[in-house]
Amino acid sequence: MKNKLLFNLFMLTPAIVLAQSPVSGFMKEKGKGSAVISYASEKYNQVYFVPSINDGVPIFNDVKIASQSLYLEYGVTNNFNVVINLPYITATGNATEATLKDLGFENKRAGLQDLKIYSKYNFHSYVFGKNQIDFIGVLGVEVPMGYKADEGLQSIIAIGDQATKLNVSGMMMYKNQCGIFASGQIGNTFKNNQVPNALTTETKIGFAAKRFYIDAFFATQLNSSAGVDILQPGFTGFLPATKVNYTRVGLNAYIPIVKYVGLTAGANTYLSGRNLGKATGIYGGLVFNF
Amino acid sequence: MKNSNTFKKIVFAILATTTLISCERNSTYEDTKPSIAKIAVLNPAFSTLEAAAIKGGVAVVLSNYNTGDPSGHFTVFAPTNDAFLRLGLTSENLSLLNQTFLTNTLLYAVSNGDLMSGAFIPANLSGSAFQGVTRRFVNRGEDKFINGSKIVIKDVSAINGTVHGIDKVLLATGGNIVQSALAVQSGNVFVQKDLTYLVEAVIYCDLLAALSNPSANLTVFAPNDQAFKNLGLALNLPPFTQPSDIRQIPKATVTAVLLSHVLGNGGKFTSELNAGPVTNLNGTNLTLGSYNNGVLSVKGPSTTSTPSNMTIPDIQATNGVIHIIDKVLL
Repeated sequence: MKNKLLFNLFMLTPAIVLAQSPVSGFMKEKGKGSAVISYASEKYNQVYFVPSINDGVPIFNDVKIASQSLYLEYGVTNNFNVVINLPYITATGNATEATLKDLGFENKRAGLQDLKIYSKYNFHSYVFGKNQIDFIGVLGVEVPMGYKADEGLQSIIAIGDQATKLNVSGMMMYKNQCGIFASGQIGNTFKNNQVPNALTTETKIGFAAKRFYIDAFFATQLNSSAGVDILQPGFTGFLPATKVNYTRVGLNAYIPIVKYVGLTAGANTYLSGRNLGKATGIYGGLVFNF
Repeated sequence: MKNSNTFKKIVFAILATTTLISCERNSTYEDTKPSIAKIAVLNPAFSTLEAAAIKGGVAVVLSNYNTGDPSGHFTVFAPTNDAFLRLGLTSENLSLLNQTFLTNTLLYAVSNGDLMSGAFIPANLSGSAFQGVTRRFVNRGEDKFINGSKIVIKDVSAINGTVHGIDKVLLATGGNIVQSALAVQSGNVFVQKDLTYLVEAVIYCDLLAALSNPSANLTVFAPNDQAFKNLGLALNLPPFTQPSDIRQIPKATVTAVLLSHVLGNGGKFTSELNAGPVTNLNGTNLTLGSYNNGVLSVKGPSTTSTPSNMTIPDIQATNGVIHIIDKVLL
């Protein structure tokens, strides 16, 4: 019981920024939950193209992406949690007025992105000494909320890929009585609308004490071979059909402020990629635990 | 100690599994050749071409293999930013060009298959993707030209063809000399209309048929509108405000002046012209200045005339070459 209590201090799930899995390896107890409202910002002025990185974003020069996100996690049972995430994203380019007029483009795209509904089930926990390993299955769907990603090269600043997605993942979560934890998650996301499926992984290692939480993550995505490269053979101008791969690292942190309320913040950057901006971002959020 | 070892093993297993499975590495594609369109994007010297390809609707075409050629390749004579700037064009003001003309201009720079620099044989013609209108190779000293455009970068290999950089945009209307002038006059080249006085003068002097002759192959020095307005002032006529004002000058005089702007020398690009006298269709001599950065000045037959400058040289017509100039040659 002592172990279980300490493990449950680590209830924060700060996976609320772009390019992180919406689910963590920590399970909420039945009837418990958390809500996070957050603001994330990232920008880039370089693009991972094939075969080399490009200084400057075509047409838009540099791009800033801001995200206000609502994140909810609730324990239906001790071993079955539901996660809901809905971000509102604003993507802003920096093309000159003359360029915009010349090409008939706009510098801004904004709207609700994808409604993400995930469930995770801890189907087995293996406890040995002061250690515990959880084996968790994840099933998620993501539904685009009406934005467009099929506007030709204007969609360089689209806020998403306009695809409905089904994610199936498995996760292994290790945690011990000292507060150290590590998790590995691997899954496949199946997408419609000519968007290539993606193999995603996320490795996280961290420490959670009574007064703070911190983790570092390493996330990757590899698209299926069906994707094409931007402005390479096979490209039709439909940007969501491109192969988007990346390796991203970041930090997440959380501190409680008062009972039920805490603050979370983090930063992340890409180490490598394909057909996407070389972005660095930060976020902050207010966490309500209930 | 046992606890620590267990943790290390588990963390290592998790890290190793997820990292090795799906880490993106540059080596997975760094040996891939860029497409022709991507070369324009990746090279800052071609940023105007990049914008033009997007606006002209050929960026996707030049990203892909050429379905019209067994090799799947294109050859593109790619104008540098400086080449566009000669026309007053940057990536931000391409709307100064008529949209259709922009697309046709880009297509005129494209041909099927790989055309390597070793095949740039003087006087050889190369068909383009713009209605098959041909381009001509020229040697001038140590330099190689296509039409009047100097080839400044040679044989850049792309996954879907070959790119050569040129210092002037290749221009062609697809029509004869009269049709080309009409295209400029009606805003179908630059949106801003020009050559309106010249077209009026050609009509006034009944030279339409002569300049439309498909076998004529002429070199035409075409004064722009401002040149004719300045002419009116020089002749102490009321200021020209509309093309028909040219009719204030006697028809025979205007005819003689127009014919003095035409050379029956086979239609020459700037790359083929040299300093010195050239005989025009009026039987008098024009005097060309020295070749300098792709243009030559042109001086009229009168000993007192001042040389005119080429504002837009090397427009390929089906029956000759047009050089737009800034003064009427007297």
